[in-house]
Amino acid sequence: MPRDTDVAGETQTSQVMPTFQDVIACLQQYWSSQGCVILQPYDNEVGAATNVPATILRALGPDVWKTAYVQGCRRPSDGRYGQNPNRLQHYYQFQVLIKPSPDDIQDLYLGSLRAIGIDVEKHDVRFVEDDWESPTLGAWGLGWEVWIDGMEVTQFTYFQQVGGFECSPVSVELAYGLERLTMYIQGVDSIYDIVWARGEDGTTFTYGDVFLENERQYSAYNFEHADTDFLFQEFNARESECLKILEANLALPAYDSVLKCCHAFNLLDARGVISATERMAYILRVRSLAKACCASYLEHVVGESVGVAAQESAEGKGNRDA
Amino acid sequence: MMLKTKTLAFEIGTEEIPAFDLAKATTQLETQVAEMLKAARIAFERIEVYSTPRRLIVLVFALAEQTDALAEEHKGPAVSLAFDDAGSPTKAALGFAKGKGVEVGALERRRVGDTEYVFALKQTPAQKVAPLLGALLEKLIVSISWPKSCRWGSETAFFSRPVRWLLALLDDEVIPVNFAGLCAGNTTRGHRFLAPGPHEVSHANKLLDVLSAASVMYSQEQRTQTIRSGIAAVEREYNLVSELPANTLLEVVNLTEYPSVLVGSFDEAFLKVPEEIIVDALLKHQRYFPLYDSKHKLTNRFIAVSNGNPDCAAIIVAGNERVVRPRLSDAKFFYEEDLKRPLDYFVARLDTVVFQESLGTMRAKTERIAALVEHLCVAAKLSEEDTTDARRAAYLCKADLVSNAVVEFTSVQGIMGAYYARAAGENEQVAEAIAEHYRPRFADDAPARLTVSRLLAFADKLDTICGLFAVGQGPTGSSDPFALRRGAIGIITMLDDGLGVGLYAAIELALDNYGALVADKEAVAQEVAEFFVTRTKVILRERGYSPDVIDAVLAVGIVEPAQIIARVRALSAISAELPEAMEDLATAYARANNLADKTLGSTVDLSLLQSAETALLDALQKAEVQVSGFLAENDFAQTLEALAALRTPIDTFFIEVLIMDKDEALKNNRLRLLNRFVEVFSPIADFGKMAKTQRTDTC
Repeated sequence: MPRDTDVAGETQTSQVMPTFQDVIACLQQYWSSQGCVILQPYDNEVGAATNVPATILRALGPDVWKTAYVQGCRRPSDGRYGQNPNRLQHYYQFQVLIKPSPDDIQDLYLGSLRAIGIDVEKHDVRFVEDDWESPTLGAWGLGWEVWIDGMEVTQFTYFQQVGGFECSPVSVELAYGLERLTMYIQGVDSIYDIVWARGEDGTTFTYGDVFLENERQYSAYNFEHADTDFLFQEFNARESECLKILEANLALPAYDSVLKCCHAFNLLDARGVISATERMAYILRVRSLAKACCASYLEHVVGESVGVAAQESAEGKGNRDA
Repeated sequence: MMLKTKTLAFEIGTEEIPAFDLAKATTQLETQVAEMLKAARIAFERIEVYSTPRRLIVLVFALAEQTDALAEEHKGPAVSLAFDDAGSPTKAALGFAKGKGVEVGALERRRVGDTEYVFALKQTPAQKVAPLLGALLEKLIVSISWPKSCRWGSETAFFSRPVRWLLALLDDEVIPVNFAGLCAGNTTRGHRFLAPGPHEVSHANKLLDVLSAASVMYSQEQRTQTIRSGIAAVEREYNLVSELPANTLLEVVNLTEYPSVLVGSFDEAFLKVPEEIIVDALLKHQRYFPLYDSKHKLTNRFIAVSNGNPDCAAIIVAGNERVVRPRLSDAKFFYEEDLKRPLDYFVARLDTVVFQESLGTMRAKTERIAALVEHLCVAAKLSEEDTTDARRAAYLCKADLVSNAVVEFTSVQGIMGAYYARAAGENEQVAEAIAEHYRPRFADDAPARLTVSRLLAFADKLDTICGLFAVGQGPTGSSDPFALRRGAIGIITMLDDGLGVGLYAAIELALDNYGALVADKEAVAQEVAEFFVTRTKVILRERGYSPDVIDAVLAVGIVEPAQIIARVRALSAISAELPEAMEDLATAYARANNLADKTLGSTVDLSLLQSAETALLDALQKAEVQVSGFLAENDFAQTLEALAALRTPIDTFFIEVLIMDKDEALKNNRLRLLNRFVEVFSPIADFGKMAKTQRTDTC
């Protein structure tokens, strides 16, 4: 889509305006120079970049860990058949996880905004309270949503617990909503108008060119066609698989089954076949699998005595509640 | 002699603290610092506490350089117990000395009255304050209590959000304060973007100046004033008015260090969307203040409070306007989508929404509300037509909870339902009942306008209260997640306003509606009734009624809030109008009640009566007839006037008649007469509770 003003209100030629892939490349470059391992997207369906093992499992234990990656996320219920300019059932997050959280992490984060062309001194950048909790992962943290001129562009979280275990040291997670951020930078009002790529000859691909048909088809699949019997069966089969693999102390492949269960549950939810009372039961089943994977990871990968960790975490929670 | 004093400046520099937590912590700090200094016997002239999202500041002026010396005197056991026959200290003396931290040999003997006791005398000399401050301030940091706190990095300390710097100065001297791997220094930071710093502070008295120069409005008060006057200027300029809900204002004040007020606008086309959703989107989601015209109609302008560089206002406004657009187009999209379906469709989908874990879905709740409304319409003697509307409104009242618009903008529940109901051709009374059945939503909120709406509100609130009590989830202490207290206050307000239905019968029916979920119906009904009585009592106290009058009415065991309130009101009115008569009557009642021997009954032998007794009996008979008549009409003012007429006869009786006559028959007959006197009062209130002399009478 043609445009002539950037976020700074200054006239620019469209050549300088960063594309969707420029934004990703800049973020990768920036966090790479901060010493992060740049991973490629995880090859399993996830509802959020947090659910990727490189975040959720690696946040456990004492070892230093720094990573950044793009992750495609699926939220079947958010599909709008490509008709809503702000909602997608598949979208991208740029995820950063650093453990332990650096003292200057807020400044590092602001540096990443500068790296993608946002002159933070000219804008109203705010850290607005937003605490994060994932009931399915037994995880929670405190932090903010970051606003630029009123627009939420990033979730910023200090992880306190994962899988019911106390995080020590504490990881910091930054989750950028790439579509929204790029819409803001490019000044477009519809996700589908985001310029994804632009060749030197002027050939332009928009987000719509790349994903509009995908949204139409998957919305229809998620809401109308996904085979619910198959999905119920898949949920149960993946649950058994997870538990069986955990017996072999293989937390990583077992965790893949947790993700499969989550996705099957999300699809069933979109299909409207999970009643309100069953819903909680399914979430609890996923949570107990996720916790078991975290426990196994701590015990067999990190090498911590899980009994002690669980006890400490219970006490920690008690302190905070008080 | 003037003692030398200094200024203490202490700043806890943090990452952004949540707005409401910050406000609470700031209030806490004022008292905590004063208590901390008093406990350490450090004199000071005054304390100032300031805060911004990134800092908590304590200034103490004219802080003494030395602590106050302390001479303590503790009285111990009697000498006879402190030393044995041989003059050696006993266990009692040893324990006492140890407890007070003195040698047993240092105990002194002093006579108090006729007895000699041992005393422990302790002298704590004055100390230099400076070396004590580090430890005190470290304790102060951890003593701040936060609703939620976190750890960060590899630290084990907790705070609302990570602490990034500490400044502690006593005049120009740095006080070493250690917390979470940090050591206090003499540098602070400015506004994150306008003057980040670090900035050196040469003297405690200079901290505020340094912050002002670094674009930090350190005072919550000053930020509030700046925002208010900025908004007032906008209102004048555009000839519009804004609404500033206290919570949102506080949030905005505590989301900024250097606030500036900006005006933005959005496409007028969005004004076709129901106003309430737009206001929700602006206020709740974005913390913008909507602007209204002189007829209080929403306009397409709004106020945003920025923390950015005021020179960049144009860019910031443009950005904020860009955020509003998708929000409002979402709202428009949701609204239009919702309108494509009949409300019945949403009712069916209510079984996907949980009301409460053990209490089933909103669909089930809808059915219970409908059953309760059916009963209430009969009790309130509603017309056929109104009953039909009430029934329809009950069926539809929760439907909008699964509409797109309410899922996205929760505060418009009910209101959207009404829009959709009208669009679906429901009549106005049904639509209004759907919109208003959440009322009253908070203390001082007006109840719904129409009776049909009120009955629906009553049913909804009572169903919630009964259900949660049935599963043991009634409110405890400060925890009331389902806002049951507020719900009860709403019901009581409506009853007091003449809703004309009985509460207790409705409680029983509400519990029946839950069927097998209620294990012990009688016990729960009792508990719920008591809950309402307590709420009624609280309301009456808040309205300023005397606790004696309230207790007097409650003592006779009425559970209907409307009756309790009416009686308290009448009793208070007559006590104010005829204070002496009522006091006298209360005293007489208390006296009679103390003497009363219920076992004797109240059948009086007429042949044994003297004239004063006959006069009392006549008055009683007359009062009995009047009281039962007025009570039947719930006319408490007249009832009380009838009782007031007993004042003279009972006073004369007590003066002229010797009750405890030697003749057993006479005595018992007189006691029976007193029993009858007490009985006239018993259905109305326990007047003894209002008697000033009651205590001396009974003791």
